[in-house]
Amino acid sequence: MLLLPFLALFSLPLAIAADDATHQKLVSLAAAGGGLIKLDAASFELLTSPNRDWSASIEFTALDNRRRCSPCREFNPSWNAVAKAWIKAPKEHRDNHFFATLDFDDGQMVFQQLGLASAPVVYVYPATEGPRATGRTDPSKYDFSHGFEPEPLAQHLSNHTPIPIPYTPPFDWARWTTFAAGFLSLALALRFVAPILQSRWTWGVISILTSLIMTSGFMFTRIRNSPFMGHDGSWVAGGYQNQYGQEVQVLTVVYGTLGFAFLMLIMVIPYQTSAQRQRFQIYLWSAVIMMVYSILIVLFKVKNRGYPFRLLL
Amino acid sequence: MPKAFPLPSDLSPATVANTASLLRIVALSLISGAAIASRLFAVINFESIIHEFDPWFNYRATRVLASKGFYEFWNWFDPTAWYPLGRVVGGTVYPGLMATSGVIYNLLHALNLPVDIRNICVLLAPGFSALTAWATYMFTKEMKDESAGLLAAAFIGIVPGYISRSVAGSYDNEAIAIFLLMFTFYCWIKALKLGSALFGTLAAIFYFYMVAAWGGYVFITNMIPLHGLVLILMGRFTSRLYVAYSSWYVIGTLSSMQVPFVGFQPVSTSEHMAALGVFGLLQIVAFTQLVRSHVSSKQFQDLLFVALVTAGLLGAVAFVGLTYKGAIAPWTGRFYSLWDTGYAKKYIPIIASVSEHQPTAWPSFFMDLQFLIFLFPTGVIMCFHQLRDEHVFVIIYAVMASYFAGVMVRLMLTLTPVVCVAAAVAFSSLLDTYVDAAEPEEEKSSETSGAATPSDASSASTSKKSKKEKAAAAASTPGNALTDLVAATAPTKKGDAPKAKGIYGIDTRLAVIGNAFAMLAFFVLHCTWATSNAYSSPSVVLASHNPDGSQHIIDDFREAYYWLRQNTPETAVVMSWWDYGYQIAGMADRPTLVDNNTWNNTHIATVGKAMSSSEEVAYPILRKHDVDYVLVIFGGLLGYSGDDINKFLWMVRIAQGVWPEEIQEPNYFTPQGEYRIDDMASPTMKNSLMYKMSYYRFSELFGGGQSMDRVRNQQVPKVGPTLDVLDEAYTTENWIVRIYEVRKEDLLGRDLKSANAFAKGKKRKRSKPVSKRRPIL
Repeated sequence: MLLLPFLALFSLPLAIAADDATHQKLVSLAAAGGGLIKLDAASFELLTSPNRDWSASIEFTALDNRRRCSPCREFNPSWNAVAKAWIKAPKEHRDNHFFATLDFDDGQMVFQQLGLASAPVVYVYPATEGPRATGRTDPSKYDFSHGFEPEPLAQHLSNHTPIPIPYTPPFDWARWTTFAAGFLSLALALRFVAPILQSRWTWGVISILTSLIMTSGFMFTRIRNSPFMGHDGSWVAGGYQNQYGQEVQVLTVVYGTLGFAFLMLIMVIPYQTSAQRQRFQIYLWSAVIMMVYSILIVLFKVKNRGYPFRLLL
Repeated sequence: MPKAFPLPSDLSPATVANTASLLRIVALSLISGAAIASRLFAVINFESIIHEFDPWFNYRATRVLASKGFYEFWNWFDPTAWYPLGRVVGGTVYPGLMATSGVIYNLLHALNLPVDIRNICVLLAPGFSALTAWATYMFTKEMKDESAGLLAAAFIGIVPGYISRSVAGSYDNEAIAIFLLMFTFYCWIKALKLGSALFGTLAAIFYFYMVAAWGGYVFITNMIPLHGLVLILMGRFTSRLYVAYSSWYVIGTLSSMQVPFVGFQPVSTSEHMAALGVFGLLQIVAFTQLVRSHVSSKQFQDLLFVALVTAGLLGAVAFVGLTYKGAIAPWTGRFYSLWDTGYAKKYIPIIASVSEHQPTAWPSFFMDLQFLIFLFPTGVIMCFHQLRDEHVFVIIYAVMASYFAGVMVRLMLTLTPVVCVAAAVAFSSLLDTYVDAAEPEEEKSSETSGAATPSDASSASTSKKSKKEKAAAAASTPGNALTDLVAATAPTKKGDAPKAKGIYGIDTRLAVIGNAFAMLAFFVLHCTWATSNAYSSPSVVLASHNPDGSQHIIDDFREAYYWLRQNTPETAVVMSWWDYGYQIAGMADRPTLVDNNTWNNTHIATVGKAMSSSEEVAYPILRKHDVDYVLVIFGGLLGYSGDDINKFLWMVRIAQGVWPEEIQEPNYFTPQGEYRIDDMASPTMKNSLMYKMSYYRFSELFGGGQSMDRVRNQQVPKVGPTLDVLDEAYTTENWIVRIYEVRKEDLLGRDLKSANAFAKGKKRKRSKPVSKRRPIL
């Protein structure tokens, strides 16, 4: 069993001398994978060997279903698209930077070594030798604050590649076809829907709904990605500057009811011809206004605890 | 016709009209008084002081204008801002506000009233709110009548949504801009109604004033064209529209280009292209109308079609081509982020970082508008019911402004006027209906339609039906296809006379009106409470309560700024986060690196980098920028949550945008992704200059006990950070402001760290072990 360390010792100078061979091997690996090297623990060592005149960007991921890493699956297409785009780079540049993917199930050891507790992670290993050496040897991490989109990823990685990655977003056929089809069908249907489009009440409903939804804080939930309801099943978020998606619906209904009650009082009830019926409706809608308004105040007190006023409730 | 209650019958119509007119004047002056008075909480609770951040710059500029004259102000180059770059103030400012105060100042002095310029600045916003109430009255009068106008004036006079930006001391552009907005809109509506070039010109002049006063003028620039476009699409092109729009656009655009800060933008940026496009479209439509009067119908149809298509295509191609070639600038970031709401956070974190650019949650809407918020849709429906040209304007305004107000908190300000107008229209219709003494004759013939079970569904259907009937009946609008259509499809019963409208009985009237007045009273209570509690804090001076309930003033900011003013040379450069730039310039009168005029992202990112990197990295940056003092805001002792540690992540993000290699946001979190400042804080966080400056010697304050940060509710490490390149210069009473002096290079050429260690008497660690003396045997 002395043979093994001996062999290793023997291969050490050979490895340094065979840097070129390693590079060639990586190039062929990349070519085989269509621009993307599928790594395991051994080839990871090769790719990130301390003496390298190439740079590499590596995605650490866990695509297997058992791992239940939905962000990994979400990010992977973007990664592949950027890696594929790199094939289009001229050969002399292309071979100086490699794209690689290491799945958790292929190299648990590497994950442990690097202390990675979550995925996906993108590391960029700079070149340590040759003209492109920067003096840095340790990898830098890609920050996912811009999301999983391919554009910012390509933009960021381009800082580390010999030439910028020739990534162009794919032409979105589906979207444009849908758009064109929608436009065409609208143009064709214009004759039939024209009466609807010309009705003031169509536009009235659209306008009123828009204002109601907007003033209920819909844009807040959109921009902040608020959940529909709380984790504990509560539907009112505590705090003045916070709200859940469900609150938008409740508030729209509350405002809508109140506005509708006023509309009844102003525009409908005066045309009632029976005095008895009119009296009944007036009292009914006044009561509705008072009750719903009280509920609204109660809701507001939940959000703003210092609010000193209350109505019936 | 029977009456519900007796009315005096011996009054001549002239008397009634005169009394109504007198009452209107009295009511308007009372409303103005209430509008001004409710904005004085800040002066009474605190003192006559300029508030917040931006007003301090406006105040400083106004002082220059008042003391040196307009010409000097126009050419003012301020070398102390954006050190070492400086700022051409005259060309980068909307001068309308300062010019207004300057005119008032000179006028008062010409009348031998020696009023201090500061008091004019403090009280300008309340004064203009009275004018806003009047402008809103005029505007609403065009929508419905005088009584709705008075209601709208009263609403806008005290509504918190507008008060929040116009309390005494809030000397900002919005203070005068809302008046200008409403008055420009009033002139536009008037011009459109009368087809008057005079009112069109007036609208243009006030538009010019608005352009000179506030960047939000773009709202008008797009609202009026949109109104024009919708009117054309509705087939309501008239020569009145042509005259009004053309006079407004030509004079308004030419005059707005006289403001140096705006310059050629009206013809070169996308924000202004809608106005230009509608102007062109109006010319085409007017031309076709002219041709129509000269040629026969068939020829005309063909001519119109060809001409319109060609012109439209040419215009679109020209627009795309010019944008592509760069002659027309694309949307500016601030404007673009209104449509693509994720845009700012991604590309311009500095815009996303401003608190007033955050989206609005519903409690803010209710807080600012209270019961107007649900009367607002009712008012918009009433506008749809009548749908004259001016009502179309209110409808478009309502939809656009409610979207904008949802996206950005500060745009609540543009929503508030239209909410007041629409709610006033609805509310005054309610009062009109139920105050009117006339009672209709009760019909004896039994109603056959729907047995009126008052469930929601049946009343909804009746309402829909009667709406349709009324839509058919309301033929006041020039007959268009849709009214005819509705009339044709609506089920009309044979032999139905036009229905009588009115309310029976006195108790019903009292119920509704009592309800309405209770809501108004509640509104007044709410507004008073919201104004005095939420919107009247100067934020330069803080207030807390002593145990006995009396007010305790926390005056740390001014303490620190006056310390700088009294104890440092006039040329000492102060570095702080940009929020405090204007205040330092205004109160301490010292040069600053960055301030609230956030035009230079890189410079701000430089400050962010200095704050968020370690001492070794930060020191060269500080020295290269000649920084003498660094100022940080720290609320940990008092629990003041708006401090720099809470803003720190934005500094990191903005710095990261420029130096993604060196500053990375995740490094400032713990491995678990928490933002902590205690023992578990990440090393990058602990080494950052901001952290060190905030917590330097903080634990000593607790004398070895548990030192608690009251904002973050975390325990600060027992062994606090050490500083090598900075000396603590001053810390205010409640530790809110901490000022550090930057050390100069060591005289002996050592690096500051080892010099510091030497001064403390620590031995330098040698790499070579000292040889031990061998004991002599």
